[in-house]
Amino acid sequence: MNRKRALISDTFKVKKRRNGTQKFGAVNDGDGPTDVRSSLEYLMTLFPRKLFDDRLPPIVMKHQLYSVHDDKTLVDKELNKLRERGELLMFQLGFDSDAFGLVFASDYKTKVLAGEDGRPTRATVERFLEKLLCPCTELSFSKDKMLREFLFTDSEITHLVKSGVLTVRDAGSWWLSIPNSGKFTKYFLQGRKAVLGMVKKSKYSEVLKAELEERRTTSHVKFHMKYHIHDIVGAELVESIPTTSGALLRCVES
Amino acid sequence: MLGFLTARQAGLDDPLRLRRAESTRRVLSLTLNPDREVDRIHGNAINTIDIEVIEGRYMLSGGADGVIVIYDLENYSGKTQYTCKAVCTVGRSNRYVHKFSVETVQWYPHDTGMFVSSSFDKTMKVWDTETLKPAEVFEFEDNVYSHHLSPIARKHSLIAVGTKDPKIQLCDLKSGSRIQVLQGHRAEVLSVRWSPRHEHILATASADSKVKVWDVRRASGCLFTLDQHNGDKTKAASEAVNTAHNGRVNGLCFTADGLHLLTTGTDDRMRLWNSATGENTLVNYGKVSNGSRKRLQFTVSRGCSPELVFVPCESSVAVYAVHTGALVTMLRGHYNNVDCCEFHPDYQELYTGGKDCNILAWIPVLRASDVEEESKSQMSTLPFRLPCEEEMTS
Repeated sequence: MNRKRALISDTFKVKKRRNGTQKFGAVNDGDGPTDVRSSLEYLMTLFPRKLFDDRLPPIVMKHQLYSVHDDKTLVDKELNKLRERGELLMFQLGFDSDAFGLVFASDYKTKVLAGEDGRPTRATVERFLEKLLCPCTELSFSKDKMLREFLFTDSEITHLVKSGVLTVRDAGSWWLSIPNSGKFTKYFLQGRKAVLGMVKKSKYSEVLKAELEERRTTSHVKFHMKYHIHDIVGAELVESIPTTSGALLRCVES
Repeated sequence: MLGFLTARQAGLDDPLRLRRAESTRRVLSLTLNPDREVDRIHGNAINTIDIEVIEGRYMLSGGADGVIVIYDLENYSGKTQYTCKAVCTVGRSNRYVHKFSVETVQWYPHDTGMFVSSSFDKTMKVWDTETLKPAEVFEFEDNVYSHHLSPIARKHSLIAVGTKDPKIQLCDLKSGSRIQVLQGHRAEVLSVRWSPRHEHILATASADSKVKVWDVRRASGCLFTLDQHNGDKTKAASEAVNTAHNGRVNGLCFTADGLHLLTTGTDDRMRLWNSATGENTLVNYGKVSNGSRKRLQFTVSRGCSPELVFVPCESSVAVYAVHTGALVTMLRGHYNNVDCCEFHPDYQELYTGGKDCNILAWIPVLRASDVEEESKSQMSTLPFRLPCEEEMTS
């Protein structure tokens, strides 16, 4: 058994709390309400803007939030609330059916319009973004919907695909996407592979989180180390174990 | 604990509350105990176990070599050290034993005079427990993955059978014939389960990633197919529309009240569904590793709050809270993959069987004061109790 102390159900919990007990290795204590928005903002700061010449809005993966908060269902619910309010957009990035990218709606709008500056397709894209940002919680659009609800013509849809806002999904439907995000996906997957390799090659396939953050990164790892660590912990590719010297990351055998 | 007892005595609390609190405490402290063992009869992997519903005394197990064993779980010896002995065995020497591995065994829900077993030798046999001879043999064209008898049925005695064929067969125990076929799946049916709430509702899971819920009285087709995106066609790639999982669905389990259905799939996910509407409740359990190519037998606790689900994950059993999705603990003890687990609701015990040919019994830990009282009776004088030995929880 891997428990140091026996589990106690909520009804039997001791009411008095001892002073001075430190929880080792834990980032969050579960007492406060889960503030998903502030964790999102924190993770957005880890995104390297300069790498993409500031053309991309900061992208965070949904599973990175699972490494910050314990309760996955609660995180999912909060994200849905933010999406319904129109503050957050979710994208299917294409490399994994479960990996979703999150971008703040305001960031997305500014970056896309900045990218479209001076191009003839700008007006169409602007119109599309306006239709999109009145709360739209969908990840993909079918031709039917584009023609009827949004009142776009075929040539306008071609403009949108050219400008990168829509990506082909199958005949007659498109995913919502971030323009110029191909580079992001490439670097992300490269970096994830490199960081996972670093953990696997360590003795016993485990390494202290603090030590991993200190290590010199190869040229393959272009993002901040913490960004990748949140990613691999959230995607459950490594297990985060609390120890007396901090969090330990151990490779999950599959 | 004393607070609960006093409230129960005074009538301030419902009796169910004390029972629930104590059951939950016991389930949370499940652990391997050297005092309780299950007799080792199987020489091969154990594929399935079932505990009878009426008394909770006898347990059936089916192995990969076709052997079926019945164990007595009750401890009448008076000692704490107890091995659950095998009462009888359908061994390799029996004339009627299955030729290949037994995939599912189930007691007849109304008494222990009969049990049904199905196997990869394309037969399903209805055995008489007394004589250990099959009273009825149903033959099929393909390997039988799973069968289930409805635990609450009064108006019918149908056995739902899931085989390699996409059609689900319903066999009638009373007449001994195949009376109905449910068509709708496109690949082999890995698991079938009757609802514990309505005797005509059947859920089936298939390798084509779909889970269908049927009413057997209806001739036209299934009631609904479970959709993981809840009808939001934009979330998935277009091939994955209307699927319950992104891979084979190999485990089905209704919660004790029958209001929710849990499914597990080879996409390493477990999902909780509302069994009346088919809606995905979107509870996120995280990665539930699942590599089984056959049916995965998992189980839900009964009489606790919060309800816990015990899922075999590789060589350990993961315990999750059903409605919040939090991982409570991992039960480690098997040497190889765990294939099946079954919960004993009266004693809050868990029995798990796996590829290492062992059935392990997970017993709740006794309260600290019980151990202390025993030592008190052994020692003649103990002037005072040290404060640290007193119960911390009250």
